[in-house]
Amino acid sequence: MESLLHLKNNIDDVPSLSEWLGMLVQDGFFPEDKLFNLDLALEEAVVNVMNYAYPDQEDMPVDITARRDGNRLTFVVEDGGIPFDPTKKEDPDITLSAEDRPVGGLGILLVRQLMDNVSYERTDGKNRLTLSLNL
Amino acid sequence: MTFSIVEKETEITGIMDGRLDTATAVQFAKDIEPLMEKAHMHVVLDCTNLQYISSSGLRLFLSLKKATMAKGGSISLKGVSPSVKQVFTITGFNSLFVFE
Repeated sequence: MESLLHLKNNIDDVPSLSEWLGMLVQDGFFPEDKLFNLDLALEEAVVNVMNYAYPDQEDMPVDITARRDGNRLTFVVEDGGIPFDPTKKEDPDITLSAEDRPVGGLGILLVRQLMDNVSYERTDGKNRLTLSLNL
Repeated sequence: MTFSIVEKETEITGIMDGRLDTATAVQFAKDIEPLMEKAHMHVVLDCTNLQYISSSGLRLFLSLKKATMAKGGSISLKGVSPSVKQVFTITGFNSLFVFE
């Protein structure tokens, strides 16, 4: 099974991601009890791309492909922006007090924690971030 | 997401209803301005009907927490669902807030 979602790097497009994931549940891609975590992991991954891949341009494409092979669910987030590997970003120190807490870095931490595997590759001038989960 | 505010003598409560994601966080940042101004009080965020939160929302919760610390107030979260609580736990934000 495969499904493709085209977004623009515009925050107003983010709600379409959640609607699409709801449709995937109905199509049998994954059970509804996984929806909250997948919604969160995908939102964080996609917003990260929107923020970094195209720093000076709006409405550039961000494509997401969902695939189900047996019990393995894979999402590939693809953009043609500047090379950016979010997996290289270090996790923030989550033991710091409120005063010392940095505001950034939480997104990729959530993606790593909610998915079984997160990988990045740069091919054909595109950033390709792959998130997978064993159901 | 909808947001309403109830103010009592020493306590100000923000009642959240819906999803707090990257898109709705833009409005939420404006919605909580009255709470930021009154952060010398005890601030309660009623999360009973908060269905979802992402890191954009967590950042605003942290801003509110910092405002209460700066102004001598306090903050607590009410009615947080297990799904939403899990997001606080993964990010370590559970240690920054009191859950009622």
